[in-house]
Amino acid sequence: MLIEVGHFALVLSLIISVLLIVVPSIGLYQNKTSLAQLARPLVWAQGFWIALAFFILMSAFLSNDFSVKYVADNSNTQLPLLFKASAVWGSHEGSLLLWVFVLSLWTVAVSIFSKRIPSDLINQTLVVLGAISFGFLLFLLFTSNPFERLMMPPLEGRELNPLLQDFGLAVHPPMLYMGYVGLAIPFAFVLSALIRGQLDSTWIRWTRPWALVSWSFLTVGITLGSWWAYYELGWGGWWFWDPVENASFMPWLVATALVHSLSVSEKRGAFKQWTVLLAIGGFSLSLLGTFLVRSGVLTSVHAFATDPTRGLFILIFLFIVIGGSLILYTWRSSLLQQSNPFSLLSRETGLLINNILLVTAMLSVLLGTLYPLILDTLNLGKISVGAPYFNAVFVPIMIPGVIALAVFPYVRWKKDSLSRVFNLLKFEWICVVLLTFLSWVFITDNIFVLVAVGLFIWVVNHVLVLFIKRLRSKAKLSMSFIGMILAHLGIAVFVLGATVTTQLGIEKDIKMNIGETQTIAGHDFVFNGVSPHSKENYSGFIGDITVFKNTKKVAQLSPEKRYYQTGMPMTEASIDPSITRDLYVALGEGLGGGAWSVRIYYKPLVRWIWLGGLMIALGALFAAIDRRYFLRVKS
Amino acid sequence: MILAWQFIIMIALSCAFFAWFLFRPISQNISGDESNIAINQQRQDELISDINQGLIADDQYQTAESEIVNTLATELRPDTKKSIAIKPLPWTLAIILIFGILSLGIYSQLAPKMIPSGNSLSEPLSMSDSIERLQSFIEKNPGDFQALKMLGLAQIGIGNINESIEAFERAYLINSKDIDLLLQFASAIAASQDGQFDGKSKVLIDEALSLDPQSIQVLYFSGIVAAHGGNLNGAIEFWEKALYLMSNDHPDRNIIEEALGTVLNLQVK
Repeated sequence: MLIEVGHFALVLSLIISVLLIVVPSIGLYQNKTSLAQLARPLVWAQGFWIALAFFILMSAFLSNDFSVKYVADNSNTQLPLLFKASAVWGSHEGSLLLWVFVLSLWTVAVSIFSKRIPSDLINQTLVVLGAISFGFLLFLLFTSNPFERLMMPPLEGRELNPLLQDFGLAVHPPMLYMGYVGLAIPFAFVLSALIRGQLDSTWIRWTRPWALVSWSFLTVGITLGSWWAYYELGWGGWWFWDPVENASFMPWLVATALVHSLSVSEKRGAFKQWTVLLAIGGFSLSLLGTFLVRSGVLTSVHAFATDPTRGLFILIFLFIVIGGSLILYTWRSSLLQQSNPFSLLSRETGLLINNILLVTAMLSVLLGTLYPLILDTLNLGKISVGAPYFNAVFVPIMIPGVIALAVFPYVRWKKDSLSRVFNLLKFEWICVVLLTFLSWVFITDNIFVLVAVGLFIWVVNHVLVLFIKRLRSKAKLSMSFIGMILAHLGIAVFVLGATVTTQLGIEKDIKMNIGETQTIAGHDFVFNGVSPHSKENYSGFIGDITVFKNTKKVAQLSPEKRYYQTGMPMTEASIDPSITRDLYVALGEGLGGGAWSVRIYYKPLVRWIWLGGLMIALGALFAAIDRRYFLRVKS
Repeated sequence: MILAWQFIIMIALSCAFFAWFLFRPISQNISGDESNIAINQQRQDELISDINQGLIADDQYQTAESEIVNTLATELRPDTKKSIAIKPLPWTLAIILIFGILSLGIYSQLAPKMIPSGNSLSEPLSMSDSIERLQSFIEKNPGDFQALKMLGLAQIGIGNINESIEAFERAYLINSKDIDLLLQFASAIAASQDGQFDGKSKVLIDEALSLDPQSIQVLYFSGIVAAHGGNLNGAIEFWEKALYLMSNDHPDRNIIEEALGTVLNLQVK
């Protein structure tokens, strides 16, 4: 009975989204305030019904209600409680409900934290968000209903994909969706400014905190995904350039450009056209990602089983969103012409370079992701574009970006002189060269690592110098400034972690007999054997490996090989983590006579990759709570 | 019927909520001009702070300040339009009407049609409603084998395993030679024993096998019993036979192939 209530709640949400588009619009255009002001109550009611539907589906999973087809297809009585709850978004229908739920959370948040925003702007923004939720609710109800009942319910449900039976499923998709869907907010602000024809200081001011928060969530989501892939897939990798990973990375690159572009538009009134295009681009790319995952054009661990109707629906929606936004942009382009001038050497130029590099990087990833699909669609053959292409194209584009990050915070707004900047950087360059030289002498001669070390030292140096200068000037340390230096430091930490683990990591794929020892990076791995192991929803084998360093025991590792009900074998790596290195062991196949194939990895500084990601996300959150966004206005 | 009332309550609650805000609208926030003035004043303050920290050159200060003033000048739009008051009642009635008709209309198109009842063919029934109806039917017809079997299935569908076993037990007393019943009964018992097909559950499947050794379903379940008992070769034999008897496009073929694959895998290990 509850299931039908959940289904009906979604229908009510759909009708409310229609009302949200129509009623406040009438109010805005006929100057009937009472109707325009109905936008917020409509958003709250919609949020309530969508939340109810979401939690009803979750309760169906928790109570093993296999009369619901989606539950029967993705859960069973043996599944642990946490995985039952997270199985709600383990497949297409539920994940789309999560998408709609997250969109409603964002919309409600915008409606609540909007007291400092002019009513017309906020009501128009809520109307745009209502139109987006209308599209997704239509898609959900007509092609992907999660509340479909089975005439004859099975006694037991199916197995949730074993790859998804992990804590990662509980946290990675919700965080990623918070970021993905959150990009709808800057998009809605931009569109409402274009519709109203008021591209003033207000919309720029209020777009930035929302862009920062959604960018922060997207960063956390991608970071968690990378961490999950690292320990779950058993290959020890942290980024695979999988097309679906790229689908979330492209909006991230554009959102990164957007938050920087917004800072110039907000502070100096420049780059408005660029900012508008980036906001439209960010959300369009998040829709493109949705299309790629759900249309069936991709084969990936992330891609859901799909049918062409769904793909076609999203494609039409994508065209409406991009086409409609660009038409609006063209219509209002005359209002975006005004831009305050700046010289070639200025901080504005630095941020422009940052934007160009990020967008170029995004286009290179887009090309590598879509090119095989386009060839395949046109029957021109099948090709695979993988890590070699992306590493060769993406990394050289981003290196100047990191250098710009270390230089331009020193450069003044509007205009600066080369000699002043050179004088300021002299000390830093001496530091960088000296410390990099010492690294070459004492640590490694790997050129890539030395470049990363040099960049790391440079960025850390500039952060420290900026911090000290700010303290000396006795100016207040704003959250925005703290956020910036934290995020820049996060980039440096990430770059160093990624380079060191890729260049200096060691991997061994070997056969080990009981009692045998393998030495890797000064660590002795002793194989003590394998024993049978089972839990409620799987059975398999668990290995026992002791690690010694200089005869002192440093870790006891227990990698697993699991067989779930579907018969799908799963490798569960065992990791001894630390801030300087990870010891990573994955069990392969039994080779008879007690011998097993074992993969052993030594991963120096691998944790820095995710630490860097979290620092970037935290930096964005700090910047989003800067006091300028708590502006008090007297009427 | 109960569902229809729930839906009406949901519609009524929503409409009452909207009506409340039509009669008592939320007060307006600041105007666009007030917001732009405040933001540009703040920009001027930041500009002073920037020059104190050396983030902008002294000779650029005047230019930057005049840019702020010019920006504000272009943004100010004195609002001469007066808000038009509305009559909330007609709007409330219109919303109630549109909301009610559209939501029920769309739901009637989307709702899954469950077990059709004699009274209302178009009204969807939930599983709990179906159980209630079956129970009242069985009270009047306690010897109806099909109804008891249906009740057992429906009970397990909503997780009432003990009630399901009870219903199957009664059906079994009426007809112990029905293959479907034997398998469903065995599955319900297994569900109550953490998925273990042993004890009475195994006995029932053995009975079904003796009644029809060529039945695909019976062979599938016999394979499960064998696998649970550690007899992997026996399980493989049953499932290979079931696959042999099945057509290539049989909808259950994948399930048996998957099970066979699992056991073959385990045997290799």
